[in-house]
Amino acid sequence: MSKKSFIVLLLFLVMGLSGGLVALHPESPGSPAAHAAAAAAPPAPETPASTWTAPDQVAALERAKETVPFVDAVMDECKLCRQMRLRETGLGTKDIKHSYFVLNSPIINAVEDHYGPVRFMHSKHAAQIQDCAMCHHFRPLGADASETTRCSACHQEAFRKDHPERIGLKAAYHQQCMECHRDMNQGPVDCIGCHNKNVPEHKDKIQLAANPTPFEVTEECLRCHKAAGQDMLKTAHWLLKGPSPFTLGHRKEVEIGKATIATNNF
Amino acid sequence: MDLSRRGFFKIMGATGAGLAATGRSAAAWESRAPEDAYGCLVDLTRCIGCRKCEQACQTVNGLPQPEQSFDDLTILDRKRRPDEKSFTVVNRYYSGKIDERDQLIPTFVKIQCMHCQDPACASACIVGALTKKENGAVHYDASKCIGCRYCMVACPFEIPAYEYHNPITPRVMKCTFCYERVAEEGKLPGCAQICPVEAITFGKRADLLALGHQRIKDNPGRYLDHIYGEKEVGGTSWMYLSDQPFEDLGFIQVPEKPLPQLAETIQHSLFSYLWSPIVLFGMLSGVMWGFRDKGDRHIDREGENP
Amino acid sequence: MSHTPRPLRAKFWTPGVVLMAFLMAAGAVAIIARYIGGIGYVTNLTNARPWGLWIGVDVASGVALAAGGFTTAFVAHILSRHYYEPVVRPALLTAMLGYTFVVLGLLVDIGRSWAIWKPLIHWNPNSVLFEVAMCVMFYLNVLYLEFVPIVVEQYKGRVHLPGPLSGLNAPVEGLLKLLDAITGKLMWVFIIAGVVLSCMHQSSLGSLMLVAPTKLHPLWYTPILPLLFLTSAIAVGYPMVVFETTLVTSSLKLDPEMDILTPLTRFTVFLLGLYLALKVGDMVVRGTYVYLLDGTAQTNAFLVELILGVIVPWVMLVLPKVRQSRRGLFIACALIVGGVLVNRVNVFVVGYRPPISEANYAPAFSEILITVGLIAGLMFLYRFLVTYLPVLSGPKQEVSA
Repeated sequence: MSKKSFIVLLLFLVMGLSGGLVALHPESPGSPAAHAAAAAAPPAPETPASTWTAPDQVAALERAKETVPFVDAVMDECKLCRQMRLRETGLGTKDIKHSYFVLNSPIINAVEDHYGPVRFMHSKHAAQIQDCAMCHHFRPLGADASETTRCSACHQEAFRKDHPERIGLKAAYHQQCMECHRDMNQGPVDCIGCHNKNVPEHKDKIQLAANPTPFEVTEECLRCHKAAGQDMLKTAHWLLKGPSPFTLGHRKEVEIGKATIATNNF
Repeated sequence: MDLSRRGFFKIMGATGAGLAATGRSAAAWESRAPEDAYGCLVDLTRCIGCRKCEQACQTVNGLPQPEQSFDDLTILDRKRRPDEKSFTVVNRYYSGKIDERDQLIPTFVKIQCMHCQDPACASACIVGALTKKENGAVHYDASKCIGCRYCMVACPFEIPAYEYHNPITPRVMKCTFCYERVAEEGKLPGCAQICPVEAITFGKRADLLALGHQRIKDNPGRYLDHIYGEKEVGGTSWMYLSDQPFEDLGFIQVPEKPLPQLAETIQHSLFSYLWSPIVLFGMLSGVMWGFRDKGDRHIDREGENP
Repeated sequence: MSHTPRPLRAKFWTPGVVLMAFLMAAGAVAIIARYIGGIGYVTNLTNARPWGLWIGVDVASGVALAAGGFTTAFVAHILSRHYYEPVVRPALLTAMLGYTFVVLGLLVDIGRSWAIWKPLIHWNPNSVLFEVAMCVMFYLNVLYLEFVPIVVEQYKGRVHLPGPLSGLNAPVEGLLKLLDAITGKLMWVFIIAGVVLSCMHQSSLGSLMLVAPTKLHPLWYTPILPLLFLTSAIAVGYPMVVFETTLVTSSLKLDPEMDILTPLTRFTVFLLGLYLALKVGDMVVRGTYVYLLDGTAQTNAFLVELILGVIVPWVMLVLPKVRQSRRGLFIACALIVGGVLVNRVNVFVVGYRPPISEANYAPAFSEILITVGLIAGLMFLYRFLVTYLPVLSGPKQEVSA
């Protein structure tokens, strides 16, 4: 989600700034930026009649709404014992039912909602770590209870009087993810590494006449997002210039681009 | 000369006796700390320095927008203090320890009013504008305040700030412990609610102490065996757990005796029921009566007159 | 010994008085600036240093140096030493004006001047400051009542208001009669109350800082701080009388009153000695002498206060030769007055070190202007009142009327 929308956002900026906005917005459903753009162009219907969302995303969003009963007691075992036992039971990546989750729990949203939900790539993390006990650090106490269970089974509201030592869901996510990312030196540890910012509704903010020209649209964006425009002009994406460290044979400076010799300067 | 000297001795005697009485009744001073107060336990090993608490505080309390955005984390190194525009600030400290990747390990320290159990500011306040509420908050009522700033002199943590540039209706500004939110709306303090990692645990002070000691017991390697605020100045509602020595993190050593105790003991043992002024008044009346016609007969002995 | 107080009736606008008026005007400008831009606009006060020059000098020192009022009232009226009457009225006037200006200084210093009455209805009996405020308020009224006979003596039966106000002659006359009747019968109550109230708040001023053990330097922070404040206030009473009487009599060319001042300071030898003993004893008992040679601003200020302000003048006063010389006596008493002033400034400003922010403080120019303006105003009013009311005893020796 985050990567995709990032690219969409970038494309939007590139195209918007270079005057190619009109061609874009039908292909970018769901992206807040595109939504804003859609709202900005009066010829388009106010809310797109059919916003297509991928079926797995719909399912993930639905799953995110579920809550499960609070698990009061957990089995008391040491981390090593648990790792060994899980290995003996043969639990592994093959048992994963859903490859990803959208962490958008009503338990957290009931109190506050400052950022967009995180899309947690369960399979990817499991495949890389190969140790379920890393995150599934406890299991419910009952003999017939599942070995693994979702975070929100044990971690729900913060500061429960009956379980003062048990942190709330929001803190559980953050502590688990960030501590591991830091320890492994992999994965983001800042807010917007995992979250989208909750972009406020732009319907009322955008002031555009009917049938605006692409340049007017860009100007309207820049009215508030001045810095974003300036930043854009310095990026490799705009300049088509600079090192391409991940491209074979292009690790050094590439001196061809809009800033120098225009090759594809539309 | 002799007689007048004796008169002075009597005054001195009366005050001296009063002060001596303070020593005897020192044990009589009683804490007025609320029984079942709320508090917050700040776990400095959890804090990630995101400044979300500062932001929430600003929103919840309607404080002015800061010049630098809350997303700017460079400001953490500036060793800020809470002031009239921000009730809480987070500062970053480096102990000098490094992690496996040679990165300095930071410790973030959130500062706000400690909401002392027996607050010096509330004892000092001439009009009782500052009071310790039953739910633990040290609450400021601007409608009573006269602006003497004695609370700021009294506070050992240098917390109350003043609107020095308001000429007519300046207020003392400090963390409110979100008194209205907690007491009336049943919500959490803004900072405790927003904290993404539960570095701030909100609850009853007694429960938090138990929780804090449990954390220390469960992770003896992670924590120092000291909850700052358990005993400091007789206990505070806000308390801290840390893995670094507190004195390296901007915390000062303060007495374990509640700060109001000494002055209040002296005041109450001297002036309860106004006994000492009444006694002094009576003694002076007696002296005045006794001396009514006799004073000047010694003038001749004021030997040094030419 | 025919000391009869009477109005001075001398030329009022002398160069000195003009200078006072000029300083008052400068102070007034600064005060206006304070009420336009706020306290922060005219002072260097900060969140870490909320009390500065105004509290240290205008309030704390003002109260201490007004102690001449109750100490002379004690010796002359309670001990019936009427021999000292000639200095009672000037001391009373100084005390009355001193406390009036303490309140004026407070009005400028507190953030909400208009709310200064609020302690009357919102009581905090745990607050030391509340007790001080109540005592100062009552004592100020007592001082005004004690001053009533002076006004009555001058104007009773002679009220003659000019022009349009002449219609008020009868009511004012009636008011004077009433006040005369009340104060005549009850003056003894006011005199004793004045002494009691003074003892209460002079000591409590010291208790003010007992709430801040981490902030006040250990050289001053002691549980007997209230006792030290009380003894130093009592000890500075007569030296203050000597100081101001000498200033006034020499500037107005009046009888230097040495025959009264010299015996008066014999009390001071004892009182100042007691203060010195308490101060040194406290230092020894608490072991704070270890700080004495630190060389920090605080310890140096303490040494100045102790040596120049207490020990030197005490040794001087022990010598009869000094006591009988007008110059020697004046210098000794000026040192004591200065010592108490420095002590109060030390306790409230110099010795106050916030340990977390370690903030420093030096008064701003406009802050000093207000303090100087207030002191000038006090001296101006003193000069005005002794010109028209029977306060000072008539010229005897160096007649220049």
